[in-house]
Amino acid sequence: MSIDYYQAKDHAPLPPKNADVLTTACDYCIVACGYKVYRWPVAAKDGGMKAADNAFGVDFPGNMLQEWVAPTQHNICTYKGKKHNIVVIPDKDTNFVNTNGDSSIRGGLLAQKSYSADTKTKDRLKTPLVRINGVLTPMSWDDAIEIAAEVGKHVLKKHGEAAYGIKTFSYQYIENTYAVTKYALRHINTPNFTFHDTPAYVTSTPGFRDSGFDNFGPSYDDWGSAETLMICGTDPYETKTVLFTQHIMPGIANGMKVICLNPRETAGIAYINKMGGLHIDINPGSDNLVLGAITRVIMQNGWEDSDWIKKWVNNKWESNSGCGQGTRNTPWQWRTTWGKFQTKGYEDYKKWNLKQAEYDPKSAAEKASIDVKKIYQAAEWLAKPVNGKRPKTSIGIEKGFYWSNNTGNTNAISSLATICGAGGRPGQVLGRFGGHQRGGQKGGGYPRNKSAQKVPGRRRQALDTDRWLYSGHTRFAHVIGTTWIQSMPGSQGLAAKFEELVVKNPHQVKSNNKAEIIATLKKRADSGGMVVINQDIYLRDPIGAKFADVVFPAATWGEVDFMRANGERRLRLYQAFSDAPGEAKPDWEIISLLARKMGFDGFDWKNSNEVAEEASRFSRKGRKAFHMVKVAAHIEGKTLHQKMREMGTDGIQGPTMYNYKTGMLYGSKRLHDTTVGEKQFTAMGLSNGPVKENRYGKKMTHFNSQTGKINLQKHPWSLFGDLWEWLSPKKDELWMSNGRVNEVWQSGFDDVERRDYISQRWPGNWVEIHPEDAKKRGIESADMVMMYSDRVPVFKDTILGVHAKDFQFSELMKNGHIKLDKASISAIAIVTPTTKEGVMYANFLDMKQPNNSLTIRVPDNVSGNYNYKMGVGKVKKIGESEFKKDFRAMSFAPRNIT
Amino acid sequence: MSELKTTDKDQSALAHAKCILNRRKFLMYSGGIAAAASTVSITLFDGTAQAEIRKANVQGYPRKLIAKLSELKDHQPVNFNYPDDGKNSQAMIVKMGNVQAGGGVGSQRDVVAFSYICTHQGGPLQSTYKHVADQRVMGQCPLHLSTYDLRRHGIIVSGQAYQSLPQLLLEVEGDDVYAVGIMGLLFGRQDNLIA
Repeated sequence: MSIDYYQAKDHAPLPPKNADVLTTACDYCIVACGYKVYRWPVAAKDGGMKAADNAFGVDFPGNMLQEWVAPTQHNICTYKGKKHNIVVIPDKDTNFVNTNGDSSIRGGLLAQKSYSADTKTKDRLKTPLVRINGVLTPMSWDDAIEIAAEVGKHVLKKHGEAAYGIKTFSYQYIENTYAVTKYALRHINTPNFTFHDTPAYVTSTPGFRDSGFDNFGPSYDDWGSAETLMICGTDPYETKTVLFTQHIMPGIANGMKVICLNPRETAGIAYINKMGGLHIDINPGSDNLVLGAITRVIMQNGWEDSDWIKKWVNNKWESNSGCGQGTRNTPWQWRTTWGKFQTKGYEDYKKWNLKQAEYDPKSAAEKASIDVKKIYQAAEWLAKPVNGKRPKTSIGIEKGFYWSNNTGNTNAISSLATICGAGGRPGQVLGRFGGHQRGGQKGGGYPRNKSAQKVPGRRRQALDTDRWLYSGHTRFAHVIGTTWIQSMPGSQGLAAKFEELVVKNPHQVKSNNKAEIIATLKKRADSGGMVVINQDIYLRDPIGAKFADVVFPAATWGEVDFMRANGERRLRLYQAFSDAPGEAKPDWEIISLLARKMGFDGFDWKNSNEVAEEASRFSRKGRKAFHMVKVAAHIEGKTLHQKMREMGTDGIQGPTMYNYKTGMLYGSKRLHDTTVGEKQFTAMGLSNGPVKENRYGKKMTHFNSQTGKINLQKHPWSLFGDLWEWLSPKKDELWMSNGRVNEVWQSGFDDVERRDYISQRWPGNWVEIHPEDAKKRGIESADMVMMYSDRVPVFKDTILGVHAKDFQFSELMKNGHIKLDKASISAIAIVTPTTKEGVMYANFLDMKQPNNSLTIRVPDNVSGNYNYKMGVGKVKKIGESEFKKDFRAMSFAPRNIT
Repeated sequence: MSELKTTDKDQSALAHAKCILNRRKFLMYSGGIAAAASTVSITLFDGTAQAEIRKANVQGYPRKLIAKLSELKDHQPVNFNYPDDGKNSQAMIVKMGNVQAGGGVGSQRDVVAFSYICTHQGGPLQSTYKHVADQRVMGQCPLHLSTYDLRRHGIIVSGQAYQSLPQLLLEVEGDDVYAVGIMGLLFGRQDNLIA
């Protein structure tokens, strides 16, 4: 393992008084802390130690919590062709999110993200590349675009829209995602489209959607103002760090009780436990059972929030209502065609829950391998009234939870939350605790009816792009800002398929003549092979480095003005402050060039603001509706981006409202806020309903369901249970789960390989193994181990479901749709009690040794999402890593030391 | 100096010096004539044909007597200030119970010294030294829970900080332990050495 060691510097320059100051937000996790960028020419004098001599107005040495520049927060970049000092530090003046200027390790290192020819960012993509004789060769924009467009057009004409596959980031700024989806969905109009983290265009949290909850309804304040907070499948200290330190920690200090449902105990959970929290350390995938049991205990004791349920839960008639059209055409209804989820209200749900043998606390505790007392304790904390007063309960979930049993878990938590009265009041909320920042803005509708895939029932299901590709139907793969292969389960099998369709196809470009290149690539597509085009900031291996025929260099954070919202829907402008490398262009511009060459109209934007302004009206229905900011901006004679710039790091929370009389803009603190009253409506100028372009949707004060009330849903274990039983470790296998660490969290695309400090902390793939499991296998910390399996289940076919059980795992298995792959990867062992006995926990996405190779490639049979956290494997020692003797990198100290 | 003269590659003090002094190659080259500078043995270009052990300057840093090896008790940090008595100079030296550490001195290479000031936002790490099995950490910081690995040059175990906890370079002369330099920038300073 070769590491470039981080060399600790003992100097960092202070920005001078006259440095340019720009605002931005962190590029990484969804919390999106506010940052300030200080910029001054290298030829100019640095700031001095006296307050009067530096841009911070602080005397140095400074005090705790004051502005300070760590050496890693300084960089030298090019701005307008001239070298400038760049300092990126958390904004001490921000009023929201990272109040008092807190920051994560990722955000703290943002300055190193910016392109500089002298740092490890020097391999940023700078010119378009076309693969000729196996080598990616620089080419002009015009020619590269023409090659991609000509082959794309040919594939569309000859093989149809579904042969043109598009896999794209969902989050990398509103301007880019709008352009990409306008191109993909409105113009190409392909069902072979999905985002970076899912095989098909489906919701991440089906249970939330079907019950009526938005993923990001809560305000960050809500997470600290509950009395009981339940956290499922994540440690927010790892994944929403500053939310934890700025909101949850103060809540705990005020007596908030916290329950964590998680097989692991990391730093945040350890802190919670130290402060008297309850840690339910379940086996992977057993969440549904434990939640069903907790809910049962609550109901048996009569601790449910009857007033809330009476007012806000759909009864039998409401569950079936739909204003004439019925709910038939909603995703909720088609999923419930089988009658598996829909209830007639609370009593019906209760009856169902009490009937399920698996929700008996003893049985659930056994399967989850936890102490049954924890189920009773959790029920008390969540719902038992104390002195006649109900606790204010909030619940947050994230991927460890909803990527384990996607539909079952999200249904179960929605029902539990509702029964506890969580969901629509300050400090009583339900939402997600992670994900990327919300930078998605749809520019077209998904053509579901073109999908070749159908579940039993009425509707077609969004196409599983992996299975479609696996079956050889994708002839043109357009990949934007994602690795595709490593990010999907069964990675090694998927890579082999790419190899077969792209590299092993006889039609390979051998000439630098444009016409010949186009002809060859067309032949490849026609012969059953696949052509790959790739937009990214770095050349990713293998999607770019091995497979792409054409590569377009993208400009990113800090190089172009972009807009995006965070996990409480707070919109900010991420300002440009340095030059993009070479000829790199923002993704919206690459799309615009390609679209025009394809002959599509409506892609003539001149700058980023124009894209945002066009996108605004399509945002109006969404949770981050920013249309009214544009309206206000235009009334004030400004552009949308100008108006956003004025709002700095405070930004504004979507959906936005505008009072035409007072000229005031209003954000929305939370969605589903059942406590919003006349006073707020009057302030917004909406007391008689929405005025002019304002739109005040149901989600503001009610829930996203057919009635505005919550659908209380069943969450049958049986839909998932057969897979779980089949998968459960046999003989010397262990559960194999995966996830991220704070140090590399939604930043893996540019930090882990390019920031020496992060490379030194995590120099290679790693896996946590419980001391008992390690001892049995003779494994010590810092040993190299191999994790392997000869039963990675892969659902390989695109099928039309006819009978109710067609997509059930055991049926797929019986009917030959599941293939068992072999896979093996290596990692550095960390022997630690932070992970549960019987459970290995590995890095979620190592580029060379993707742990997804061992996770199941069997999408959730209802939602179509992958359950990425589920896998099993064996582990054995293969040697020792250098870190056993060398102390300069890595750390084997457990993350739960408090 | 005896503790640092070993040529055993695996010995952490040497590895430590190598690591520390990488950042100061400039000083190493340019030094040698500076008056009153302390020296440590380091390997330059380790593993290459140019490998050599030589005395290097730890230029500008004071050489300060901070402890006597014989008086250090396992797991009981001793506090001192370094490199001056100004802001954010609080530091500690600790003998970590015979567990070898990067940059450790003493016969067991278990004596290390670190800044007490969290490099994230300057939180105080006093009283946060912990030993669990063979692991030695400082943290969680009371402000935002950063934790540092004292066996591995103060690298972050978990938390918010964007650089390691500054480790103090130590020299041993007989029973005396001297602080002679710092790896990394102390929180709140733009230079460790301020006039």
